[in-house]
Amino acid sequence: MQATHSVYHNYFGQFGGRYVAEVLRTPLDLLEEEFAEAMEDPGFQREFDTIADQFVGRPTPLLYAENTTREIGGAQLYIKMEGLAHTGAHKINNAVGQALLARRMGKTRIIAETGAGQHGVATAAVCAKLGLECRVYMGEIDIRRQKPNVFWMQMYGAEVVPVTSGSRTLKDAVNEALRDWAHSFPETHYVIGSALGPSPYPDMVREFQSVVGRETRQQVEAAGLEVAALVACVGGGSNAIGFFAPYLDQPEPRLVGVEAGGTGDQPGRHAARMGGLGTPGIVQGYKSLFLLDEDGQVQPTHSISAGLDYPGIGPQLASLGASGRVEFRRARDQQALDAVGRFARNEGVVFALESAHGGAAALQLAAELPPHQAVVVNMSGRGDKDLFIMAGELDRRAWREFLLSEGDRL
Amino acid sequence: MNAADRPRAGQDRAHGTAVRPAVMAHMIPWFPDRERSFTIARALLDAGVGYLEVQFPYSDPTADGPAIQKACADALDAGFRVADGFEYLERLRAHRDVPIFLMSYAGLVYRRGVAEFVRRAADHGVTGLIVPDLPPGSDEGLYEAAQRYAISAVPVLVVTARQARIDAVAAVRPAYIYAALRSGITGRRTVIDSDSLAFLDRLRPIGAELMAGFGVQSAEQVQALAGHVETVVVGSAFVRVVEDVLSRRPAEAARHTDTLYEAVHAVARELVGS
Repeated sequence: MQATHSVYHNYFGQFGGRYVAEVLRTPLDLLEEEFAEAMEDPGFQREFDTIADQFVGRPTPLLYAENTTREIGGAQLYIKMEGLAHTGAHKINNAVGQALLARRMGKTRIIAETGAGQHGVATAAVCAKLGLECRVYMGEIDIRRQKPNVFWMQMYGAEVVPVTSGSRTLKDAVNEALRDWAHSFPETHYVIGSALGPSPYPDMVREFQSVVGRETRQQVEAAGLEVAALVACVGGGSNAIGFFAPYLDQPEPRLVGVEAGGTGDQPGRHAARMGGLGTPGIVQGYKSLFLLDEDGQVQPTHSISAGLDYPGIGPQLASLGASGRVEFRRARDQQALDAVGRFARNEGVVFALESAHGGAAALQLAAELPPHQAVVVNMSGRGDKDLFIMAGELDRRAWREFLLSEGDRL
Repeated sequence: MNAADRPRAGQDRAHGTAVRPAVMAHMIPWFPDRERSFTIARALLDAGVGYLEVQFPYSDPTADGPAIQKACADALDAGFRVADGFEYLERLRAHRDVPIFLMSYAGLVYRRGVAEFVRRAADHGVTGLIVPDLPPGSDEGLYEAAQRYAISAVPVLVVTARQARIDAVAAVRPAYIYAALRSGITGRRTVIDSDSLAFLDRLRPIGAELMAGFGVQSAEQVQALAGHVETVVVGSAFVRVVEDVLSRRPAEAARHTDTLYEAVHAVARELVGS
C-alpha cells in the first residue's frame, strides 16, 4: 500500500458525497478520520502487506493468453489472474483492509452485504482470521444463485442472513446492512464490498483495491508490454477502480469498463448505467448514475451474474465516464457465457461470470488492435462459485439428472 | 394552527402545566391501496391528530424499519406515483385541514430537481418537508428552496448527536426539528428516559418546535414527553394496526372499510388522549 495525501475525495466531479440519515453521521465521521490516519500509518500498511503476502497470496500472476491471442490475430491478450487470490476474487483485498481498520477502531463485530457472495466469503474468511464476529446480509435470490458461497461463509463461522425485502438482491442486502449499522455502530463496522455508498467508502475501497492496479503496472512494465487497454467488468466497480487506479491521472492506456448487458436494453433486462441508460440520482447515501423510473424509484435489473446486477455505479467511475477517461461497453449474458467457455478451452482458466463480461469485451478489443500492443483484462474472480449456473446453462438435462440423483442419494 | 400561534412546550412548563403534546400521525398513501389508505387517513384525522406525516413510498427506505419498508413496498405495488401523491394531499386537506408534513427520501426528491419537488409540495399546501437523507450540509438546495417557497424543511437530530452537529442544524434556523429519540431505525420500541428528556431540553434553545419520534407507540410514552416537546410522531404503530387488521380478517377487511377505520381510530384516539 502507498501512503498518499489525496486518498479522501468525498466528491468525484458531481458524483459521490454523503447523503445519509443523521443516525449514520457519527459512524461515518469516525470512519473517515480513522481511514485517513491509517493510510498515513506505516504500521497499518505493514499489517496489510503481511496479510496480502501470507493470506491473500499476492502478487497474483499476469498470464499471457497465448492460444487466444493466436486465434484472434490482433493485440496480445493478457489476463490479470486476480481470481487466484484467496477466496477466489479481488474482494479479499478490501475485506482485509477494512477488517484491519475495524480492529484498529476497536470494533468486535463485522457486518457485510453480498451479491455474488464473493465479498461475503472474503469478509467471513478475514473475520475468522482476525477473530471478529461476522454477519453477512444476502438477498434471497442471490442465496439461491450462489449457494456454494453461502456454505463457505457458514464454514468460516459467519452468520448469513437472508434478505426478503425489495428485489431480494444486492441492493436490498445493502439496505439491511445499513439498518443494522444504524444501531450497532458502537461495536460494529460495516464492510461495504464495492466502491460505492456514502463517503468515505468509495475512496476507501479504491485504496484497498488499488493493489491490483499497482501490481499489474509492475508486471506489464517488467514484461515490456505496450498496453493499449485495460479491461474490467463493472458492477459497483471495485475491481475496475482498483485496476485502473494507477492510470487515472494520465491519458493512456484506454480504460474500459464493461457492464452487464443482460438480455437487452429494455428496463429490467440489463444492469447498464452508463451509455445513457442510467440517470443521476441519490440512492443508498451517494450521488451517481442509477437505473431509475420517472419518479426516482429504483428499477429492477437483470444479469446472469449476481455480482453485476446492482442498479447503481460507483461515483468515481460515473465521473470518469462523464469525463471520458473511462469508456464503457456492455456484454450480454450469452457473450459472458461464451467467453467463459473460450478461455477455459484455450487457456485452462475459468472466469467468474462477472469477470467474463470483461473477458468478452477484451476479446473484441484484441481483435480491433494491432499485434504489437497488449490488452490486459482483469479476471477479478474465478468461476468455481458459478458451477450451478454454468452447468445448468451448458447442459441443462444432464445437470438436472445429476442433481436429482444426488437428491435421491441423500 | 401555525407553529407561531401554538403555545410552546417550554412556556407551558414555565407555568407549571405540562400540556399533552399534539400527535403527528404517520401514514403512507396507497398502503394498502389508494382508497383504504384514505380510510386510514380519515380515521386519524377524525381522531383529532394535530398533524399528518405523509410518507411518499420509496423503493429503498433505508432509515425505516421492516414494518414501514414493507408498507412502502405494498404501496408501490398498489401503483403509487408521485404525481398521484400530490393530488392525494389535496384530498386529505379537504377532509380536515391539519398541517401536512411530507416525508420522503432523496431518491424521489432529487429525481426531477429538489427545487421543483419543493415547489410542488408548496403548491399542494404542504407545511413541512422531512427528507432524512438530505440533511443540512448535504441538502442539495432543499433548505434554500424551502425558504423560497415558504414551507419548512425539517431537519432530524438524533439523541446521539454531538453538540457540533446540533449547532450546525441550529444554524439553518429551522421552524421545526424532528428529534429521533433513539439511534437506529423506525419501529422498535423506545424507552423514554432521562437521557431522552435531557436531549430534548438541549434542543430547546434552538427555538424550533420539537417533534419527537422513533419508537413511540403508547399513550404513556406520549404523556412522558409532555412539557418537553410540542409534538410526538407516531409511525410504525399505525402501520402495525393496519397490518394486524389485514392479516386477521383479510377477506372481510378487503370488503368493509369499517373494521380498518375503527381499529385505526381507536388507537389514534388513545394516543391523542381525546
